[in-house]
Amino acid sequence: MTTTVADPARPERPSAVTTRQLARSTAARQRRSARIKLWAGAVCTALVALPVALASLLPLPDPNAQDLSRRRLAPFTDGHLFGTDQLGRDLLSRLLHGGQVSLSVGILAVIVSGLIGIAAGSTAGYFGGWVDAVVSRFLEAQLALPLLMMLLLVVALFGPSVTVITCVIAVAQWPEVARLTRSLVLVEREKPYVAAARLLGMRSWSVLARHIVPNIVRPASLVILLLLAQAVLLESALSFLGAGPQRPFATWGRIISDGQDYITTSWWLVTLPGLVIALLVVGVNLLGDGLRDRVRTTKPTKLAKGA
Amino acid sequence: MTSPARDPLLEVEDLQIELVTHRGVVRAVDGVSFTVGRGETVTLIGESGSGKSTTAMGVLRLLPEGLAVLSGAARIGGEDVVADPDAARRARGRTVSLIPQDPMTALSPVHTVGRQLGDALRLRHPELSRAEARERGTQLLDQVRITKPETRWKAYPHQFSGGMLQRILIAIALAAEPRLLVADEPTSALDATVQASILDLLMDLQERTGVGMLMITHDLGVARLVSDRIHVMKEGRFVESGPAEQIVERPAHAYTRKLLAAVPSLGPWDEDGLTDHTPLGAAR
Amino acid sequence: MSKYLARRLGQSLLTVFLTISTVFVLVRLAPGDPASAYAGPTATSDDLARIREQFGLDKPLISQYGIFLRDLLTGDLGTSYSFHSSALDVVLDRMPYTITLSVAAIAVTVAVAVPLGVWMARRADTSRELGANVLTIAGQSMPDFWTGVMLLTVFAVLLPVLPASGFTSWSGLILPTVTIAVLQLALISRLVRREMTTALASPYITVARSRGVSERALTWRYALANSAVPLVTAVGTRFAALLNGVVVVEVVFGWPGVGSLVVRALETRDYPLIQATVLVTATLAILVQLLVDLAYPLLDPRVRLGKAA
Repeated sequence: MTTTVADPARPERPSAVTTRQLARSTAARQRRSARIKLWAGAVCTALVALPVALASLLPLPDPNAQDLSRRRLAPFTDGHLFGTDQLGRDLLSRLLHGGQVSLSVGILAVIVSGLIGIAAGSTAGYFGGWVDAVVSRFLEAQLALPLLMMLLLVVALFGPSVTVITCVIAVAQWPEVARLTRSLVLVEREKPYVAAARLLGMRSWSVLARHIVPNIVRPASLVILLLLAQAVLLESALSFLGAGPQRPFATWGRIISDGQDYITTSWWLVTLPGLVIALLVVGVNLLGDGLRDRVRTTKPTKLAKGA
Repeated sequence: MTSPARDPLLEVEDLQIELVTHRGVVRAVDGVSFTVGRGETVTLIGESGSGKSTTAMGVLRLLPEGLAVLSGAARIGGEDVVADPDAARRARGRTVSLIPQDPMTALSPVHTVGRQLGDALRLRHPELSRAEARERGTQLLDQVRITKPETRWKAYPHQFSGGMLQRILIAIALAAEPRLLVADEPTSALDATVQASILDLLMDLQERTGVGMLMITHDLGVARLVSDRIHVMKEGRFVESGPAEQIVERPAHAYTRKLLAAVPSLGPWDEDGLTDHTPLGAAR
Repeated sequence: MSKYLARRLGQSLLTVFLTISTVFVLVRLAPGDPASAYAGPTATSDDLARIREQFGLDKPLISQYGIFLRDLLTGDLGTSYSFHSSALDVVLDRMPYTITLSVAAIAVTVAVAVPLGVWMARRADTSRELGANVLTIAGQSMPDFWTGVMLLTVFAVLLPVLPASGFTSWSGLILPTVTIAVLQLALISRLVRREMTTALASPYITVARSRGVSERALTWRYALANSAVPLVTAVGTRFAALLNGVVVVEVVFGWPGVGSLVVRALETRDYPLIQATVLVTATLAILVQLLVDLAYPLLDPRVRLGKAA
């Protein structure tokens, strides 16, 4: 038997991958899932967020204009798309204007918790030692605390202003960001460019602030959307328990809480606000999920090890 | 140990494997043909990324369904596993066994070694009781030169060294009483001295049981030691095929010569030839 | 082992102590006067002064704290202003209801979420999996009080098949349990999906498949056992959080647990009751976390207590 050497001029073999196989491949399916989630998320979010943002430009009745003769009108009567509430106020207008408060509280809370979380998590991850011990203890303690109760307590203490509620939600959420940032920094810290920056004589603080933090902001920001969804839910729960922003603000949780007494006679007073919250939160969650998936599918994938 | 048996255990014909990744379709294996007969060792050698492991995993149909598209033919004991994935499912654990690349990750870390070996035995012989499986299992461990197999039966994978784990994996592969062994870089994750003993064990087993072997390696030292035939693989194709002696002594293709140059000592095989081997990737 | 246990218990005690001290200070800083809440609107200022003296609220904060700590050592958490009995007893009376609801909710969640997550991992990125995924996200996205009110309206008012509130029979457990489970389902099922996807792609699964192990055994015996640590951690954390008070759901369903108790205690500024609630729930939650940690070596033989924790 002799050695055979492959003919270098062998003709190119055609690909055996059919379009069906291509469409059913894991890669194509992951891309499709991510795309559907992104689109569905964007549509749901926009359906709620755009009208909320444009509430004062839309031809709507004043959210606080009472008309006791037109109490609890069903949806689609007399030009009230979502009907009216127990004081004859237009429900849609109240929802959109109340949404401005709910959404601003959510967005502000996420920004504050993001800042605290990134600062605490990155210092803990980078410096380690006692800083890490203190931050980690805080993170653990928060898991053990009756969170909602503490929040109610703080709101009772400082009064239910928008600022207080924003801070309270931020305090509830920073551990999530901190935990993620800390683990990202622990990985980033070991990379060669950090050692190089240290060798060049940069101070640790500036290495952290100028080199490490910019590199972890992107992955960390992916949780931001998921936190925003949580913040909106938390604000509405606080409002429901009577610890939300006080009048004249009609936040989503309070509208539901107020409408609860009329649930058997006027279903829309509770059902519609709940659906609006759910639609927005689903949208934001899907958007966050889709973005995370897209990062996953565009990252260079490891090929099956073919030695 | 020369010509392939008339009725080959494994017959691969124009096998093509394409991987559908996020960056497009990659052709990992581009039309390869070879056979493995009874008592024979056939080696696929090449650098990392040449498609040799993909070929082995493809023949066993162990590549993820949504990733790999196979075409051509690969017959195990006469049944084409490319056309019929169920044929591969029937063959695995009966006709053919795999000896994996990295023994440290190849066993479930939360189950005992005995549990995993016992399961393998009972898959082949469902009539065995747990106690009988344990008895056979300890015998198998003894065969692969694990000392004190009775006490080690209850140990977890992390309590063993890499070399011992690879022996245990060989014992698990043997539990299926296979006619064909696919060894996917069985020694590349191990220390040099351990490598020699594993290869020694494999050759010894082949002599006793007449099992056919498809060996995947990047190490010409290993290939020369164990092979009857060698296929040199590059970018998914065989660039050169032939009896081991000829490939090593009279390489016809430039790529093969480059592989040979990466093996430090070219004399008759000795302990140093193995200990000093350099991974090809690093030698480039 | 015992050294590890001692250290963990020490840490836990410290956490409980810090928590209770924080609450002690916070409730007293909060506006609102327990004396006037206690005495009612008709009380004179003399009455209020007398009540404050009776509760020891006229003393400086620091000495109130000293008395509180001294009593705490003897297991005395004070007398509830509104229930006129030992605050600890009031909380312990309510605790079984919260524990029952938490156990039921976590059991239902796990019973649904684990099979669902496993199924999602095996069918990853198919249309049906995407649909299931979106449904669980929807469940997680509904405000829990709203889900509760909706379920109440449908199953207790429109089709009166289940009791609307309170704990009159075991069927009263169904709606609050479902409300909590809907919320937790997404969290646990998605965790199971993620862990199972990783586990199913591990080399040991491929190697086990190569020796003829069935897909069913690969999934349920090999991959699931290897996902046990993160799963038990998540379930334990969720359970601890539920024990800390399912405030909203208890309020919606009038469930007589500590969650609704705490809302009432906050309204009446019932300091001893607030403190007792926090002490009991925080202790319980920390105990659950500790049990979870102690379970790790049973789930994964590579874990050594004190090193991995």
